[in-house]
Amino acid sequence: MPFHEFKVSKCIPERLHHAVDKGEGESLTDALPLGYLNTIPGSISERGCAYCGAKHVIGTPMKDVIHLSHGPVGCTYDTWQTKRYISDDGNFQLKYTFASDMKEAHVVFGAEKMLKKNIVEAFKAFPQINSMALYQTCASALIGDDMNAIAEEVMQDLPGKKIFVCNSPGFAGPSQSGGHHKINLAWLSQMVGTAEPEIYSKHVINYVGEYNIQGDQEVMKDYFHRMGIQILATFTGNGRFDDLRCLHRAQLNVLECARSAEYICDELRVKYGIPRMDIDGFGFEAISDSLMKIGYFFGIEDKARQIIEEETARWKPELDWYAARLQGIRMCLWPGGSKLWHWSHMLKKEMGINVVSVYTKFGHQGDMEKGISRCEEGTLAIDDPNELETVEAMYDLKPDLIMTGKRPGEVAKKIRVPYLNVHGYHNGPYKGYEGWVRLARDIYNCVYSPAHQLVHLDISKDEIPTDKGFVTRESLSDSTLSDEIKNSTTLRQCTSDYDPIPALRKKADDNLYLFPDPQTGVLRTVPVEKLRKNKVVDND
Amino acid sequence: MDKIVAEEKMAQLEWYIAKHCLWQYNSRGWDRLVQNERILTKTKKLLCGENAKEDDTTPDRYYWSEAMSLSSAFKRYFPWVEQTSKEDIAQILQLLKDRLDYTMVTGSLNQELTKQQY
Repeated sequence: MPFHEFKVSKCIPERLHHAVDKGEGESLTDALPLGYLNTIPGSISERGCAYCGAKHVIGTPMKDVIHLSHGPVGCTYDTWQTKRYISDDGNFQLKYTFASDMKEAHVVFGAEKMLKKNIVEAFKAFPQINSMALYQTCASALIGDDMNAIAEEVMQDLPGKKIFVCNSPGFAGPSQSGGHHKINLAWLSQMVGTAEPEIYSKHVINYVGEYNIQGDQEVMKDYFHRMGIQILATFTGNGRFDDLRCLHRAQLNVLECARSAEYICDELRVKYGIPRMDIDGFGFEAISDSLMKIGYFFGIEDKARQIIEEETARWKPELDWYAARLQGIRMCLWPGGSKLWHWSHMLKKEMGINVVSVYTKFGHQGDMEKGISRCEEGTLAIDDPNELETVEAMYDLKPDLIMTGKRPGEVAKKIRVPYLNVHGYHNGPYKGYEGWVRLARDIYNCVYSPAHQLVHLDISKDEIPTDKGFVTRESLSDSTLSDEIKNSTTLRQCTSDYDPIPALRKKADDNLYLFPDPQTGVLRTVPVEKLRKNKVVDND
Repeated sequence: MDKIVAEEKMAQLEWYIAKHCLWQYNSRGWDRLVQNERILTKTKKLLCGENAKEDDTTPDRYYWSEAMSLSSAFKRYFPWVEQTSKEDIAQILQLLKDRLDYTMVTGSLNQELTKQQY
């Protein structure tokens, strides 16, 4: 597996060991890109900082929490609302963001008094919120403000209020991944085991590394509840502060994004003996395998099988409509850290898409092992690319689209490559059977957009055809399809609702789920209030 | 079974694991060795029709669940698995474990595997 040398990076020789072409008959032992290293000077990469990784990715999806950054307003503004991690109780975590608003004078004279005042002010402004996550930034870390001490003082002054302190300043690691690690361990050491939950099912899991982007968590929650499984806590999408203090009481940690949350799973395994089960929530076959594994663990394979059959019957004809039209599409799969391996093999197998390149901004070598293993031979795998490398890759590989975040996505659009946002999603959720169809639909709409076809014409030099009339996506996509596929009565386009989440919430409100009693195993419903807000008692 | 034939069959099973499984990628080398040993041993037992459960602890149930998933996928993807004798399955699975130990641990280029902390 030869290293891939970018022409634009010949002047940065260290970059050579960060990209490989997956070769025929070669294995991971032949070459593996370096990863999780400091960005090389001279290479402007697309990474976030460790504060961003702690707050933006993992902390802020917690829904009943005041998220306060101890630092300048810019830190919190720039990490606010950049992901669509919604919640099922009003999106407090998206509507409000808080900063202590450090200025030069605070850097000189200290900001602890101001911090305490601001914490109290925030709690008074939102009396219904009893918990806070307090995030260190570069500025407050460098002047050495003792945030833990201030938090303790406030908790003594305001009984009933709880404050979690996350010491992960922006410089504490090569990328946002350093922040993932820090907040994982901080939550484990400060919060886990400080409360006890009510157990209402015989089968109890933590759902870890899931951030409820446009409702992903709620899709999977529906499956788990249909299996009678209690989700003690989700780390952290749509998660409640108090539930997350009870992570130690689950029988199994179901881990989705290992990149951001394997740390807490590994520690919970060592400290409390809770096994870690890695799953894939994307792609029909991968989800089915994942549900079956969980079913085996609890001895409820029949429940898993029932969901798989129902969902496959409902959504497979729609997936196949798109798959017939996406065969051979060339894609650069350039997400943050985990979707390169969650998606690459399923995109190929279930949609016929050729993933010609995978990259990771902040992944470790383990993510590259997974990504390279799951993609096809000939794929270019890049660690922490700089912008010029991505442009060179797009010119060389000529992808039909790239799936990435909005910063590189805008770069792609400038060179006429359409992109889908796979961080915040275009029209998610993308998780689950229905979600996978929604992703296929978005890819289809992206690739065959008639408007996008126009960007390939340069009006300054190209001859503008006058003999071509109105086109639609289907006239573009179906031109080479067989009549059998075009006229199929079984295949159909996506019929998912514009927003499928309200229907899922209504299912919970209607109390349609049955859970086995922890002692007797007898199936019964659980009060809706408990599903929304489980009872949690503080440990003294 | 002839070693070359066994290695060809092992390569098919390795391909499946590389494409579909995640349990072999835990972030430390010692952890990967444990995963390989526990899951592939149970998979071998299941494919040979033997009891693969040691106890009812959650760790054992976890390894067994992964093995159940893997053994049923092997049967689904590779019809020859169900027509292969116990002795040959044992031989192929041993080759598979050796191969995974090499690619995932001893021959791995992943520099994180030897770090002491998680």
